[in-house]
Amino acid sequence: MTTRLNRRGFLATTGAAGALSFLGPKVLRAQEDGTLRFGLSTYPPSFDAWASNGTAAGTIKVMCHRGLLSYDAEGALRGELAETWDVDDDGVWTFNLREAKWHDGSPVTAEDVAWTITEVQKPDSAAYLQNQLATITSVETPDDKTVVLITSEPQAVLPEWFANYNMPILKKGSARDDLMGAGPFKVEAIDRGVSITVTANPDYYKEGLPKVERIEAIVYADENLRIAALEAGDVDIVEYVPWQAMAQVGDNPALKLDTTFGPFMYLTFNASKPPFDNPLVRRAVGHAIKREDIAAAAFYERGAPLEHLPIPDASAFFNPEFANEWNYDPEKAKALLAEAGYADGFDCTMLSTAQYGMHQSTAEVCQAYLSMIGINVTLDLPEWSTRVKKGNEGTYDLAVMGTAAANNDPDGLATVIDGSLASAYSRSYGLETPEISELFAKGRTIFDTEERKAVYKELEKVAIETAPIMGLCWREQGYGMAANVEGFANIPGQLTFHSGITLEDAMLG
Amino acid sequence: MLRYIALRSLVALFLVWVVVTVVFLLLHLIPGDPAELLLSTGNIAADPAAVAALREKMGLNEPLWQQYISHMAGVLSGDLGASFRDGASVIEQIALRLPRTLEVILAAALIATGIGVPLGTFAAIRADGKADAAISFFASAALSTPVFVVGSVVILIFAQQLKILPAGGFVDFSEDPVEHLKLLLLPAGTVALALLAVIIRMSRASVLEVLQRDYVRTARAKGLSRGPILRRHVVRNALIPVLTVLGLEMGTLIGGTVLVEFVFNWPGLSGYLVSAVDARDYPEVVGIVMTISVLFVFLNLVVDVVNALFDPRISLVTS
Amino acid sequence: MSRATRRLILPGAIAAVIVALVLLAPVLPLDDVRGMDIPHRFAPPSAAHWLGQDEFGRDVLARLIWGGRASLFIAFGSALAAAVIGTTLGLLGGYFRGVVELLTVRAAEIILCLPPLLLALLVVTILGAGTWPLILALTILYTPNYARVVYAATQQVRGLDFVTAQRAMGTHPLVILIRTILPNVLPPLLVQASLVVASAMVIESGLSFLGLGVVPPTPSWGLMIRAARGAMEVAPLLLVWPSLALAGTILTFNLLCDRLQSALDPRSVTAGGALWLRPRARSASKPATRPAASEEAPLLEIEGLSIAVNDLELVRRVTLSVRPGETMALVGESGSGKTLTGLALTGLLPDTLRVTGGTALYTPREGAPIDLAQLDEEAFRALRGTEISMVFQDAAAALNPVLRIGDQVAEAIRVHHALDGAAMQARVVELLRHVGIPDPERRARAYPHELSGGQRQRAMIAVAIANNPRLLIADEPTTALDPTIQAQILQLFAQLKRDTPGMGMIFVTHDLAVVAEIADRVTVMYAGEVVEEGPVTEVFARPRHPYTAALIASVPEGGAERLVAIPGAVPSPHKMPSGCRFAPRCTHAKPVCTQSAPRRSHPSDTRLTRCFRWEEVT
Repeated sequence: MTTRLNRRGFLATTGAAGALSFLGPKVLRAQEDGTLRFGLSTYPPSFDAWASNGTAAGTIKVMCHRGLLSYDAEGALRGELAETWDVDDDGVWTFNLREAKWHDGSPVTAEDVAWTITEVQKPDSAAYLQNQLATITSVETPDDKTVVLITSEPQAVLPEWFANYNMPILKKGSARDDLMGAGPFKVEAIDRGVSITVTANPDYYKEGLPKVERIEAIVYADENLRIAALEAGDVDIVEYVPWQAMAQVGDNPALKLDTTFGPFMYLTFNASKPPFDNPLVRRAVGHAIKREDIAAAAFYERGAPLEHLPIPDASAFFNPEFANEWNYDPEKAKALLAEAGYADGFDCTMLSTAQYGMHQSTAEVCQAYLSMIGINVTLDLPEWSTRVKKGNEGTYDLAVMGTAAANNDPDGLATVIDGSLASAYSRSYGLETPEISELFAKGRTIFDTEERKAVYKELEKVAIETAPIMGLCWREQGYGMAANVEGFANIPGQLTFHSGITLEDAMLG
Repeated sequence: MLRYIALRSLVALFLVWVVVTVVFLLLHLIPGDPAELLLSTGNIAADPAAVAALREKMGLNEPLWQQYISHMAGVLSGDLGASFRDGASVIEQIALRLPRTLEVILAAALIATGIGVPLGTFAAIRADGKADAAISFFASAALSTPVFVVGSVVILIFAQQLKILPAGGFVDFSEDPVEHLKLLLLPAGTVALALLAVIIRMSRASVLEVLQRDYVRTARAKGLSRGPILRRHVVRNALIPVLTVLGLEMGTLIGGTVLVEFVFNWPGLSGYLVSAVDARDYPEVVGIVMTISVLFVFLNLVVDVVNALFDPRISLVTS
Repeated sequence: MSRATRRLILPGAIAAVIVALVLLAPVLPLDDVRGMDIPHRFAPPSAAHWLGQDEFGRDVLARLIWGGRASLFIAFGSALAAAVIGTTLGLLGGYFRGVVELLTVRAAEIILCLPPLLLALLVVTILGAGTWPLILALTILYTPNYARVVYAATQQVRGLDFVTAQRAMGTHPLVILIRTILPNVLPPLLVQASLVVASAMVIESGLSFLGLGVVPPTPSWGLMIRAARGAMEVAPLLLVWPSLALAGTILTFNLLCDRLQSALDPRSVTAGGALWLRPRARSASKPATRPAASEEAPLLEIEGLSIAVNDLELVRRVTLSVRPGETMALVGESGSGKTLTGLALTGLLPDTLRVTGGTALYTPREGAPIDLAQLDEEAFRALRGTEISMVFQDAAAALNPVLRIGDQVAEAIRVHHALDGAAMQARVVELLRHVGIPDPERRARAYPHELSGGQRQRAMIAVAIANNPRLLIADEPTTALDPTIQAQILQLFAQLKRDTPGMGMIFVTHDLAVVAEIADRVTVMYAGEVVEEGPVTEVFARPRHPYTAALIASVPEGGAERLVAIPGAVPSPHKMPSGCRFAPRCTHAKPVCTQSAPRRSHPSDTRLTRCFRWEEVT
């Protein structure tokens, strides 16, 4: 590698290393005191347990909180606070809790679970899964360790909800942003905007876990510095390896790169006002953008075009006939714009963020292509937490967004396209999708896979026509770590953002 | 002496009052609704409900003079309000982060003075020679290279390639003093480079000036050798203007380490300011700007007073 | 063209090229700065893309030039706007003063209480990011600088005669401001402008780098650097170009500013340095040619000593001698070369001057005589203080203001004697007492500015005699003092003479009354030459040179402050008369006097004069 040669040249010619040798070789502090250092991509906009606030917030939440269920490193459901769970023929779900304690030493009871569900269900809870949990009509707690959930209609995917990192169980009466939970780590110190330090919870219900004594989650808002910190050995794991640096991390023998395909980029629209209240305009946008260029420019070829709803082609619910429905076709885009009454185009503002390079690059490519069909886009590139706030408040015309579905089931897409949910930055703002909402509700009640396939096929058909979001591209999502980190895994597919769960198994070899 | 300090302090207090008022008025006298201004982006109108909520939160519905009085009362009692973003107390956040920024600046000033004064003195001794030209060019180049370029390069060299220093971040001194100092080195060094340029130029000019003074000739007439003359007579006197400039530069730096803090992930006051500006979190921005301006004004006061102490000739009463 | 102006050419030319490039950007055959070519992203430099292609396949050269346009537009825009507003404020404030000044200049200065970047960030908070908010912020930022500079310049110009005249003629103030004062304040304005442009570019690029300035895809150097940082491993050159462009442009404008400053205001540039500080090889001091001292050997014997700046002789072939215990007065008007002669004897001539000829044999306590005209700095250093010492004219300037008196005396002692703390302290106090400083224990701890003028001069003398020099050169030691103090200091010198009988003294003065009081012999200098020499009593009784005679005649009974009443002035070194240098002022001058220079004549064994007609006119 040229950089190595440079380094040697530098050493030989300047002798600067000699001058600085008093600093000594860099020792990994982590190995000395059992502290794992995790490089966060941004400071969590909030620690709200049930709201979605991005990956960094999620990672912190899964350190401190646990839900009823979770996913293992392969992405299979597993029990957490619930040891076992079951559904009867009427679609009534029963969860049997294990002996677990809150950080304050009190036991986790069925009452806490019931309180949590009731809080999330409240119409104004702004919880990520509020809409889904609202279908639970009754929560029964026959004893301290049993929770029985009765839903209006049978809910096939209910366990997935309770495995989501935005659905942890809180102790009854807790504040929503209290990090006091039943998870493997307790908060030791919080330096707002800088770092969050957690220490191992000795009362954690899994024997021998967590394996590290302490995790120091340090914010490296600048992605270049995040990689520099990993290379310099300042941190052991980083999230969001920037795509341009993936090869560099993968090639470095001292580091490991763990990536998965799953998250996707898309555009959300502000449908509360013209011009994006018009589905024709939204579809025109889709036909105007060449997805390969996003995959190349924003993801350094570690991405793939997405010209339909984000259902992976490996999924049983993938519909090949829709695969290229939103394809790049500038003529068609212009025709659609003309049909919508914007033959001469228009000006608008596109929200993205400068904090993640690929968000900005995606926006820049979209901007370039949209200008070709007469849509003049002004970029708004605040840092992540501001971008989230603006997304939630609808202060934009269209926005670049990247996320993963809530889970690998097509129902997980509800958080992205179901317009009946409370407004959130991950969905288009002010967009009603009555047909889609209905189909989601219907799909949840069906347990038979073939029947469900039909429902979601219908759903995708509607979505292709109305374009509640506009798919752009799939992307790889990567964690970078020092070669001596073991146990931490990037959970595959849409579950990649749940990977923080495996921090309880992580250790420094 | 006391009278002088008292007088200068009064002037400084007056300036602080003016600054606080100006900052307050800056938003309120601009045409348009401040709440709407803060919430809108480009051509996107803000949500009327959010604007109304913000108006309420900022107390914009009261008459301007009442807002001003409550603003001043808050400032006087040390209450700079709460963040729009998460309601965190602005003054607490400032108290947490200000020392970190000051630390970088102080360390940078030490490094820059330690290197800059000898270099500047050397350049003055070799005035118009090759060494002088080289040092002067280095100073100009250092002054002209933006800190974010320097920062990126030193991270590449010292952290990623040589791996002898951490790339960036912050560890509390009480937690790990050695690591703390290591983390301090690159950002302080980068700030120092910019300061260095100023100090070299100033030392050079100042030494050249002092060399023409009669008392240097007297020192030579005593038979003193070069070293003591330089140390006791030349540099000691030449330092006075250098330290003045250094003090003023440090004042400018209190708000000017933004880029260095960003590049090195140093969680100081400037980084806080940038994120506040980015989020257009008005109470935070105003609180920080005010704090820094007040510090700036008082630092200038301190520079003047120290200058007066350092240089016994300055007649304290007349100025 | 002066050197300073020549030095302007390089940065000026580069700046012109940069400005021309960005001005011509729209007509240059450049690629579309937004035109993406993603398949060819990170392409290296090629014929079509001279600097390669960026992360979106856009042409780097085009983006660099257009980026410069964005940066310079903001920089020049704000510099210009600030210049117009600041100049107006400064002109008004400086011309009208009073309330107007308060409302303009002083009001603008409030902005200086805000650190620069902060103000920019405040404006961005309120107005959002973008080109125009940046221009506004930078304009506000730099207005007070202009206002100050113009205010100061206006103040100066305002008092000049031609402005007063115009005002008296009833010209409208505005017309005066625009026609007369504005052109006069232009030079400092230009310097300020180049400074502001450089500084504005630093702030603009910084804000854009942070994402708070120019919004993509508008190219800007700050943004380009930010983007290239991510791709540093893939395409390091992408980082190099904008960094070079940015640093280079700022450097250019900084240099331009520096050199404008030195071209427009040459006074501000301190010349020189100090040659004595540089170790250098110089011809080793030749051994003295004269045999070892006989009994009657003089302490110092100067023969034909000349001092010149470049090729201009300031002191020509001076000859004089001092015997042990003798006080020689060196008398002359200002510019006669008497002080230079004194400085040459201790090697303290300013760097631009040097000894060009002659010898100055000094007989040290031990060893062979040394030729002072040949010594280098190191050899002089060994003599200074202990062999030859000097009392300077203005003690207030000659004492280091930031060191205590005692320390300055101790320092002199320490050069030649190793004394420890208490002994040193005792010696210092003793010396101070010796020179008549009252309460020496306390005064030793005082700073020079805390002493009276007379006490300062006494301290200066204490420093000079600290090591019992054999030759004391006193350079107008009483000139800066008022008459009563003068008398006291002269008494002190007289006492020193009595106390140290072997010490020779050269007493440089223009005051004949002083000469009469203190000196044994007198050497009169005029225009760099010795015109007369002899024992004081004889010379005063019967001067053998018209100049000496005129000098004595001009002194009223009882002594006077200044020499008066000799018509004309000492000729400047550039226009030395060809014959006798005093001829133009001499009442006895004859044609012979202007034809050739007079030689030395000896009216008696102990006397010397340089006059053709001494026998006739004296």
